[in-house]
Amino acid sequence: MSKDILIVDNLNMHYETLEGKVMAVNNVTFSVKEGESFGLVGESGCGKSSVAATLLQLQSDNAVISSGSIKLDNQELVGMTESDLRKVRWNDISIVFQGAMNAWNPVIKIGEQIREAIREHHPNNTKKENTDKISELFKIVGLDDSIMDRFPHELSGGMKQRAVIALALSCDPKIVIADEPTTALDVVIQDQILKEIKKVQELLGLSLIYISHDIAVIAEMTDNMAVMYAGSIVEKGPTASIFSNPKHAYTRLLLESTPSVVGEKKKLRALDGEPPSLINGLEGCAFSPRCPEPSDDCKSKKLDMSLIEIENGHWADQCCVNCG
Amino acid sequence: MVEYIVRRTLQMIVVFFIFLVSSYLLFNAIPGNAFSNLLLNPNLPPDAYQKVLETYGLDKPLFERVQLYVVNFFKGDFGYSYKYFPKTPIELIAERLPRTLMLFSVVNIVAFYTGFFIGKVLAWRRGSKSETWITITSVFSYTVFYPWFALMMLWFFGYKMGWFPIGKFLYPEKWYDAPFDSDVIFAMMIKFVLVVSLIQFAAYTVTRGIESLSSRRNIRFLSLIAIFIGSYFYWNTGEALSRKPYAADIAYHMILPVLVVTIVAFAGTALLTRTTMMEVLKEDYILTARAKGISQKRIRDRHAARTALLPVVTSFIFTIVTIIDGSVLTEQIFSWPGMGQLLLQAVLEEDIPVAMASFSFVGVFALLAHLIADISYSYLDPRIRVKSQG
Ligand SMILES: Nc1ncnc2c1ncn2[C@@H]1O[C@H](COP(=O)(O)OP(=O)(O)OP(=O)(O)O)[C@@H](O)[C@H]1O
Ligand code: SF4
Ligand SMILES: [Mg+2]
Repeated sequence: MSKDILIVDNLNMHYETLEGKVMAVNNVTFSVKEGESFGLVGESGCGKSSVAATLLQLQSDNAVISSGSIKLDNQELVGMTESDLRKVRWNDISIVFQGAMNAWNPVIKIGEQIREAIREHHPNNTKKENTDKISELFKIVGLDDSIMDRFPHELSGGMKQRAVIALALSCDPKIVIADEPTTALDVVIQDQILKEIKKVQELLGLSLIYISHDIAVIAEMTDNMAVMYAGSIVEKGPTASIFSNPKHAYTRLLLESTPSVVGEKKKLRALDGEPPSLINGLEGCAFSPRCPEPSDDCKSKKLDMSLIEIENGHWADQCCVNCG
Repeated sequence: MVEYIVRRTLQMIVVFFIFLVSSYLLFNAIPGNAFSNLLLNPNLPPDAYQKVLETYGLDKPLFERVQLYVVNFFKGDFGYSYKYFPKTPIELIAERLPRTLMLFSVVNIVAFYTGFFIGKVLAWRRGSKSETWITITSVFSYTVFYPWFALMMLWFFGYKMGWFPIGKFLYPEKWYDAPFDSDVIFAMMIKFVLVVSLIQFAAYTVTRGIESLSSRRNIRFLSLIAIFIGSYFYWNTGEALSRKPYAADIAYHMILPVLVVTIVAFAGTALLTRTTMMEVLKEDYILTARAKGISQKRIRDRHAARTALLPVVTSFIFTIVTIIDGSVLTEQIFSWPGMGQLLLQAVLEEDIPVAMASFSFVGVFALLAHLIADISYSYLDPRIRVKSQG
C-alpha cells in the first residue's frame, strides 16, 4: 500500500464578507495516496475551488482558516511563512486553475512562462536543461516544440490547456490539482484533454486531485473520490464503491441526474432547488430542504453530521446512513 | 514588425502633408492676410522685398502658393526672419530646437517613469494609508491649474528659498567669455544622454538571454557601474573636462522646470497606472504566477506592471501632442529660450516666416514623437506585433 502524500485534516475555512461569514470549507478531511487520482465533486458554489486554493495557501485575502491542517508529504502548510510556501508551490504542489485559458500572461511567450517556474525552483539549471525539460513535457502532452516561442493569443484553447498541463508538470510536483480544467473548452476538445490528463497521470504515476461538477467525468478519471455539498464532504471512498453503492441522498441524486455512465439506463431525475447559502453556516443536514426522502429526524433534530465508515474505505454522513 | 513600421511611417507622412497644408491655410486666414502684410512692412529692406515675393509666390493664386510652400519646406527654405534679418528661420530653429528637445525629453521621461512607478506601487499597496495619501496628492496635482502652480513653485524655490535661478536660462556672467556656444554644449549633452541610454538598453537586451536570474542581475549591475565609471572618465578628460562647468550650469537651470513639469505631469500616468494595474492584479495569470512560487516583486514588475503598461503607453501617446502647448507655457514661465518661446514671440510680433517654420517644426517633432511611441507600443504588445505580420 502506498503512503499518503497529502493529508487534509478537519479543515475549516470561511470568507469574511460584509454580509457575514461565508462558510466555504467545513470540517473537510481527506487524504490522497501517492500515485492515485482523487476526485472532488459537487455542484457549483459548494466550495471545491476554495479547497483547492487552501491547499496551495492561495486563498483570497478575506479568507480565514480557522482550524485544521494540511500535510503535504509530512510538511504542514497551514501557518507556513510566505517565503517557505513559495518553495513548496509548484515544486511540491501545482495546480491547473479553473480558468486555465486565462492562466497565460498575454505579453510573455509560453516557453518563457514555463521556464520562469523552473528557474524559480531550479536556479542553477542551464538554458539547455530547461529547454529540454519543456520539450520533453510538450511531447507528453502532444505539443510541438515551436509552441515555446508563441504568445498565448496565437494558440487555440485546446493547445493552451495542454500547455497549462505541461506548465503544471514542469517542476515534477508531488501532487497536481486540476480544478475543472476543461470548463471553457468545447466537448470534443474536452474529451481529448481528459484523455490526455488520464494518460499523463498513468504514465508518470502522478498524484492528482481532479475537481469537477460532473460526476461522470469523476467516474472516468479517478480511483477515489469525495462528494462535497455546501462546504462539507458528505461521502467519500473508492470511486467504484460509491458508484455501485451510494449512501448519501445527495450522491444518489447526483448519480440519478447524470446520464448513466455505468450500468443500465435509468430514468433521469432532476436535482431541484438551489444550493443553500453558506453565509453564517448551517445547522444539521444542509441537504434536507432538497432531499427527496428525508426522515423526520433529519429535519427536526440537530444531527451528528460526522462521517462514518460503511465499508472498507467508504465513508458517508452518519445520519444519512442511519436514516436512509 | 518592419511592415508595421513602414506602414505607420507612410501614414505619418500623409498626416504631415495635411498638417503642412492646413497650417499654411491657417496663416493665410489671419485677418489682413499675414503674407501680404509682410510686403507692406516699412522695415523690410528692398532686396528682401523681392525675395519675399518670390519665396511665397505672393503674386500667384492660392493653390500654387500652397504648392510652393510645401516644396520650399522640403528645401528648407522659409525665407528670412523679419525680426532677425538676415537670419533665416532655419538658423533660429537650429539654435532653439536642441534646448526644447533636451528639456522636454528629460521632462517626459522623468514624468513617465515617476508616474508609472508610483502608480505601480499604489496599486500594489492598495488599501494602505500611504496609498490613500499619495492618491489624493496625485489627484491634486492632476487637476491643479498649471501656470499658477508653476509660478508658485518658481516663487517658492527660486525667490523665497533662492535655490534655483529665476528668469534666466543660463548665467550670462559665466558664459560671457566662454570659448563655445551654448548650443555646442547642448548638442554634447544630448549625445551623452543618448549614448548612455543606448548602452543601458543594449546591456539589458543582451542579458535577457541569461537563464540564471542572479547572474542576470549581477551583470546588469556591473554594466551600470561600468557606465558610471565611463561617464566619470568622459567628463574628466580632454575636451569634455573644459566644458563640464558649462554643462553643469545648463543642468542646474533645468532642475526646476523638470521638477515642476514632472509634478504636474506624473499624476495622470500614476492614476491611470494604478487603475489598470488593479484590474490586471485580478487576472488569473497573476494567481498562476503566485502559484508558481514567483517572488512578489517579480509578479508586480514582470507580470502585473508589464501588462498594465499597455493602456498607459496608449494614453501617453495621445498626450505627446500637448508637448506643443506645454512647451509654449513652460518655456515662457521658466524663461527657457526654446522652440515654444520662438513660436510665441514670432506670432506676437508677426514674424510670419519664423512662426510658420517653427510651427511646422513643432508639428514634425510631435509627429515623430508620436511615431516612436507608436512603434514602441507595438513592440510592447505582441498581439499588435503579430497582427501586422499576417
Ligand atoms: N473571495 C471570496 N469572498 C467571499 N466569498 C467567496 C469568495 N470566494 C468564493 N466565495 C464563495 O464561497 C463559496 C464557494 O466557492 P467556490 O469557488 O469554492 O465554489 P466551487 O465549488 O469551486 O464552485 P464552481 O463549481 O462554480 O467553481 C461560494 O458560495 C462563493 O460565492
Ligand atoms: S440526512 Fe436526511 S435530509 Fe439529509 S440528505 Fe440524508 S436523508 Fe436527506
Ligand atoms: Mg470552482
